[in-house]
Amino acid sequence: MTDTGLRVLVIDDERAIRRFLRAALTAQGYHVFEAETAQTGLDAATSVRPDLIILDLGLPDQDGVAVATRLREWSKVPILVLSVRGQDTDKIAALDAGADDYLTKPFSMGELLARMRVAMRHAAQLADEPVIATGELMVDVGRRIITMAGKEISLTPIEYTLLKTLAVHAGRVLTHGQLLREVWGPGYNQGGNLLRVNISKLRHKIESDPARPRYIITEPGVGYRFRILD
Amino acid sequence: MDDTRTPVIAAGGGRAARRVLRYVSRSITAMPRWLDPTAECRVLHRMAYLYGTAVVGLATLVSALVQGLWAPTNVTMLYLLAVLIVALQWGRGPAILAATLSVAAFDFFFVPPAFTFAVANTQYLVTFAALLSVGLVVSTLASRAREQAETARSREGYISALHALSAELATASDVDTILAQVSRHIAATSAQNVAIFLPKGNALEPALSTPGFPLGANERAVAEWVFRSGRPAGFGTDAVPASAALYLPLKTAQQIVGVLAVQPSAPTMPFSPEQARLLDAFASQAALAIERARLAEEARRGDIARETERLQAALLNSISHDLRTPLASITGALTSLADDAAPRDEWMRHELIQNAKEEADRLNHLVGNLLDMNRLEAGALRLRLEPGDVEDLIGAALAQLGDSVQHRAIRVRVEPNLPLVPIDFALVTQALVNVVDNAVKYSPTGAAIDISAARTGDEVQIRVEDRGPGIPPADLTRVFDKFYRTQHSGQDTGVGLGLAISHGIVQAHGGRIWAANRPEGGAMVAFALPLQRSPDEPAGRHTAE
Repeated sequence: MTDTGLRVLVIDDERAIRRFLRAALTAQGYHVFEAETAQTGLDAATSVRPDLIILDLGLPDQDGVAVATRLREWSKVPILVLSVRGQDTDKIAALDAGADDYLTKPFSMGELLARMRVAMRHAAQLADEPVIATGELMVDVGRRIITMAGKEISLTPIEYTLLKTLAVHAGRVLTHGQLLREVWGPGYNQGGNLLRVNISKLRHKIESDPARPRYIITEPGVGYRFRILD
Repeated sequence: MDDTRTPVIAAGGGRAARRVLRYVSRSITAMPRWLDPTAECRVLHRMAYLYGTAVVGLATLVSALVQGLWAPTNVTMLYLLAVLIVALQWGRGPAILAATLSVAAFDFFFVPPAFTFAVANTQYLVTFAALLSVGLVVSTLASRAREQAETARSREGYISALHALSAELATASDVDTILAQVSRHIAATSAQNVAIFLPKGNALEPALSTPGFPLGANERAVAEWVFRSGRPAGFGTDAVPASAALYLPLKTAQQIVGVLAVQPSAPTMPFSPEQARLLDAFASQAALAIERARLAEEARRGDIARETERLQAALLNSISHDLRTPLASITGALTSLADDAAPRDEWMRHELIQNAKEEADRLNHLVGNLLDMNRLEAGALRLRLEPGDVEDLIGAALAQLGDSVQHRAIRVRVEPNLPLVPIDFALVTQALVNVVDNAVKYSPTGAAIDISAARTGDEVQIRVEDRGPGIPPADLTRVFDKFYRTQHSGQDTGVGLGLAISHGIVQAHGGRIWAANRPEGGAMVAFALPLQRSPDEPAGRHTAE
């Protein structure tokens, strides 16, 4: 594998996880740096200046949400959070604190690499393409046009903004809170109904089987993700 | 009581009379009011002597009227009659007084010279002696009969009080009820304030006390002493007589289970022997009942502990088996991949890796189920209720099932315009995943599975129907039990936690879950979630985003 020259900082207290990530990521051409605690992780983030941080939520000295919050005070480095089942609240808190995405342990290497690429692409501001196309769906942000297999689909302004927000962050999870703020504005923290209803309407317009959506994926209890089909 | 004795001693005199009097006074105080020797009894006591005197007076009056007509010897008969009446009516003491008064009155009014105590004819002394002794004998016999009747009556009261208590105690199964009944019976019969001390840990604590019972350090110390020594103490006993209450050990053949403390209604009056006997009987009844309740409780706990142990052993067996099987596959795959000497082609490599991955997924699923079950049982589940879209829910569940439903015909029918349901989305997704997973496991690979959702009244029902062998009718409710697996499942598919978890999650939402067999064959598992949360739901569960 070619050297990407990209630096990845892994903050996790589990030696086995660090070892496996080091091996797998090094093989993918990344330079891997490790930290076992929140404090050493924060220190390493300043000294190493990584291109991406993989942050475990269950650290011995401080919780991962606090680490994400402190990192975001001075850095825009993409953060991928590693959580375990039952940590939903922490997961959402970390995402709302500025983490880019999450993975639930156990995860596959393929998933991790895909999330890493998405996170780094967003950080590099490469997502400002005017057209996001996947499968039969095309979202033309520049012209405000949505087409499905070449046929234009009419959306309400809210539906359009919702789809655009998801598509612009393609591959990344957006929490319910983030979507509400993006689409309805900062005052709309409690509009859970609005979000669900509009996601449902949007799916009925763009998904062939709304009960088994291909484009707008639900992350149970967390939010939604716009999927770029392979 | 001394004031009532004085006139009798004056009248009867002598030590024997005093002994008689004590007996009489005791039997009188133990009369119908035997349980409560209050002032009323003393009044009755004094009145008896007055009545006795009056009857003698009446006899004298009648005698005076018939004086000319009757021989003086018949007059003495009249007096004997009077003594008999007094003896039957008021007992021995008044009868003795009546006999004495009769002799005096006869002498004074009817024996010449009249209106003096002088006796002209000494033969009358024989009459006096006869009258007095017949009077005394009659009074003794009559009053004894009466006393026997009274004793019988008082014993009956005693026995019925005891019977009432033991009848109630026989039906009482827990210590609190027993204490309440004992205290009520004692308070009703002989005392104002009752306390019952029971050992708690190393200390003796008042398990029950009526509001007026003084529970000071002294009282506790006396109770403690009684508990340790097994001897009664306090008011009316030799040990700590200055204490305000009587302390009785609650003693059985095996042990002392506690201490009963009784404070008499009148602070200066000791308990009568009858009361003391009754309290003793109450105490031993209570002790037996408490011991019995304790033993029953211990036995019950032992049963539960044994059952829990058995379940835990079964669970541990099952879990360790279910954990080891995938681990064995993974270890096998990895070691053969790591063995450089082993011949290997690309197909075999892929096979090994794929198998290891599937087994790891299974392991993860199992651990997840165990974790969920644990959270459900520990009550640590906090619902994050948010309006949830049922179609979205089904989609999320199918996405989570991933590979295992990839090649299944799964038909989803969601009623249009279904309202949003207040749910913890992640948890209900898990509940649905387990139900669908079950349908997948227990039906043939090629058979379709139907998932449908519809509103019925004020709830939304989600049904999962398969075309497998169905569920034995006897097991339709048991499928939601922990560690349940259908007998004919044949293959080893899990610990049997899936539906139990679904059940727990649905219940936490105030919903219901049930299983049935489709008339066309196959099983149906459905759950209903309420559209409105009932108002009595604990507020802590409404932790919205």
